[in-house]
Amino acid sequence: MVKRILRIDMTNLKAEFEDLPEEYNTLGGRGLTSTIVAKEVPPTCNPLGIHNKLVFAPGIVTGTTAPTSGRISVGGKSPLTGGIKEANAGTNFAQRLARMRIAAIIVEGKVQGNDYYLVKITNDNVEFIKTDIWVGKGLYNTYKELFKEFGDKKISICGVGIAAELRGAMAGVSFNDPEGLPSRYAGRGGLGAVMASKGLKFIVIDETGAPGVEIADQEVFEAGITKVRDALLAHDVTKKGGALNLYGTSVLVNIINEAQGLPQNNFSSGQDKRAEKISGEAKAEAIKKNGGVRPHFCSPGCIIQCSEVWTKPGGKDPVGVLEYESVWALGANCGIYDLNIIAELNRACNDLGLDTIETGDTIAVAMEGGVIKFGDGKGALGLIEEIRKKTPLGRILANGTQFTGKAFGVTRIPVVKGQGLPAYDPRAIKGIGVTFATTPMGADHTAGYAIAPEIMGVGGKVDPRDPKKAEISRNLQLATAALDATGYCLFIAFAILDIPEGLQGVVESLNGVLGTSLTVDDVPLIGKQIIDIEREFNKAAGFTSAHDRLPEFFKDEQLPPSNEVFNVSDDELDSVF
Amino acid sequence: MKVKLFGDLREKVERGEVIGGSSIILTINDPKIETVFDIVQKLSIEETEISHIFVNGKYSGLKKKVKNNDLVALFPRNMGLLYKWYFNRDEDE
Repeated sequence: MVKRILRIDMTNLKAEFEDLPEEYNTLGGRGLTSTIVAKEVPPTCNPLGIHNKLVFAPGIVTGTTAPTSGRISVGGKSPLTGGIKEANAGTNFAQRLARMRIAAIIVEGKVQGNDYYLVKITNDNVEFIKTDIWVGKGLYNTYKELFKEFGDKKISICGVGIAAELRGAMAGVSFNDPEGLPSRYAGRGGLGAVMASKGLKFIVIDETGAPGVEIADQEVFEAGITKVRDALLAHDVTKKGGALNLYGTSVLVNIINEAQGLPQNNFSSGQDKRAEKISGEAKAEAIKKNGGVRPHFCSPGCIIQCSEVWTKPGGKDPVGVLEYESVWALGANCGIYDLNIIAELNRACNDLGLDTIETGDTIAVAMEGGVIKFGDGKGALGLIEEIRKKTPLGRILANGTQFTGKAFGVTRIPVVKGQGLPAYDPRAIKGIGVTFATTPMGADHTAGYAIAPEIMGVGGKVDPRDPKKAEISRNLQLATAALDATGYCLFIAFAILDIPEGLQGVVESLNGVLGTSLTVDDVPLIGKQIIDIEREFNKAAGFTSAHDRLPEFFKDEQLPPSNEVFNVSDDELDSVF
Repeated sequence: MKVKLFGDLREKVERGEVIGGSSIILTINDPKIETVFDIVQKLSIEETEISHIFVNGKYSGLKKKVKNNDLVALFPRNMGLLYKWYFNRDEDE
C-alpha cells in the first residue's frame, strides 16, 4: 500500500483516500503542509472562510523506531498573521497517523449551519459524528470522556476548544499527551480557529490494522537511527541527566535571564531576580515534591524526554507540561513569579484551547493597558475565564496580542506579522530578532533553532566571533525548515550539531525510509525549497519587506538593565532572503 | 566580584548563599584574578565543564577580563542549550 492523502470535505461530509502524488513522495511535516497549502489555498482568501484548508502531516520518519521523532505539522493560512502557517507538536497522534500510511489529512470546505463534528478515522474508513454536546466544554474533561467512549488503547485525539469556537486568532490545535491530557499543542497562529471554522471539533484516529511505515531500505535506516540514537545518548544536553531531561525546557529561564533577555512586564525589562523562582530547576523540585512526573516523554520513543506532568500536591489534577515559553509568557512577562499560579494559567489555556505564548503576550498588553495590574495572577485567570464565558472582553482577548493592544490603546505591542513574540528579547539577543522579523511565520522562536552554519556548510564558514546576523539567521531558518519536515524534534539539533555522525545518521534515516540518496549537503536545499514556497505564498497574500520588521519600540526604547536597543539595519534584515 | 554558579557547578563549592534552589552566589575578592579563566581555576572547575559564561549579562569567553563589582555567571555543560550562534562571544585579547 502506498502512502495516502485523506481529503475531508466538511461541506458535504465526505472523505476520500487518495494515493499520495508522486511529486509529494519525499515530503513530510512542514515540507508537505506548506507545499499543499501553497498549491491549494488562494493566498488572499479569508483564513476563516470556505477557501482556506487545514493540513496535517506527520514527519518523514515519524511512526518508525527513529528516536525522538513523534512530530506532526499542522498548516494553513493563519488568521493571526494572514500568511502561511506551520505549527507542530509532539504526540502519539503523529505516530499513529504515519503508521496508517496517511501522509496528510486535508480538511476543506465548511459545514453548512452551526453544527460541529467529530471525524473518526480508522485504517480504511472515515465517520462523521455530530459532536455538539462538547461545544462550550473544557478539553480536559472532554478528552477523558472521548477516550472512554472510543477506547484508549490505539486511539489518539486532536481537538479545538472554546477559544476556537469564538474563532479566536490565538486558538491552537490540541493533541493528547501519553496520559491523554490535552497538553500537546500545534499552538501558534490560530490554526485552531481554522479547524473550528470548518465545523470540525475533533479528530479521533484508531490505528487498528495499520500497516506501519514503509521503509525502503531497512539496513540504511537502521544504521542511520543508530547514529542518531548514539548522538542523543552521548550529548550532554540531550542525554539522560542532561539539562532537558532533568529540568525540561524551562532550564532556559535562568540562562536567558542571565543574558538579560528574559522579557518582564510586557517587554519592559530583560531581567528580574524573581525569575529563579520559576526556573526549570525550581519547577523540577516542585514536581518531585508534588508527586508529578518528571522526566516524561511527549510521544513514545523519545530519548531526551524533556516533558513532565505538573500536578497539584499529592499528584492531583494533572496539567501536563509547563514549557519554557509558557512559563515565561504566563509568568515573567506578566510579572507573575509563582509556579502554582502559572500552572493554573497553563491549565486554563489547555482547557480552552489557547496558545500559551500568545495568551501570555495578550494578558501582558492588557495589563499594560490597565485592564488588570502586572503581577495579578488571579486577575490573569479571570481574563482567561472571560474567554470561557464568551463575553465581549473574552472575544477581544481571544484574538491575540495585537488586537488586544489596539483595543486598549497600547503602543508597546510585541508582535511581528501580528504574532506575539516568544521568550527572547531581540534587544538583548539580536540574532534571534533577525529571525523573528524575517521568518514567514511571524515572530517564532522555533523558526531559527540550532544546527550550526559551519556544519551545514551553507554560505561558507562563519566565524563565531564575527557572525553576520543575516547569514546566521538564514542558515538557521533553512536548517530548521528541513528538520521540521523530517519528523525529528528540534531538540535533536543540540546533539547533531556537536556530533557530526548524528547529522549523518538523520540523513541516512531519511534515505532508509524514502529510498533516496540525500547527503548532508542537501539539508539546507530542502529547507530552502520550503521557505521559498512559504515566502511566495506570503508575497501573494500581500506581504512586503515592510512586514519583515520588528515593532519600532525595540529600536527606540532601551531594555534595562543592558540598555540595549535593536539596532540591526533594515538592509541587513532584507538581506536574509 | 560576584560569581553565580548554576546546576551541577554548585556542587563545586561547599559554602555559598542558595537562592531559590537554582543558583549559588559567591563573593570573591582576589587581586590575582584578571580573567574569567582565573575564576574558573580558583574554583577548580575544568574548562570542559562549562557551557555558557556571562559577564554582567554579556555572553563571554574565558579570556574576558573581569574587575571588582562584576557579576560572572557560569553554566555547566549539560545546560548548554542557548542559541549560541546568535551571540557574539565577548573576549579580551
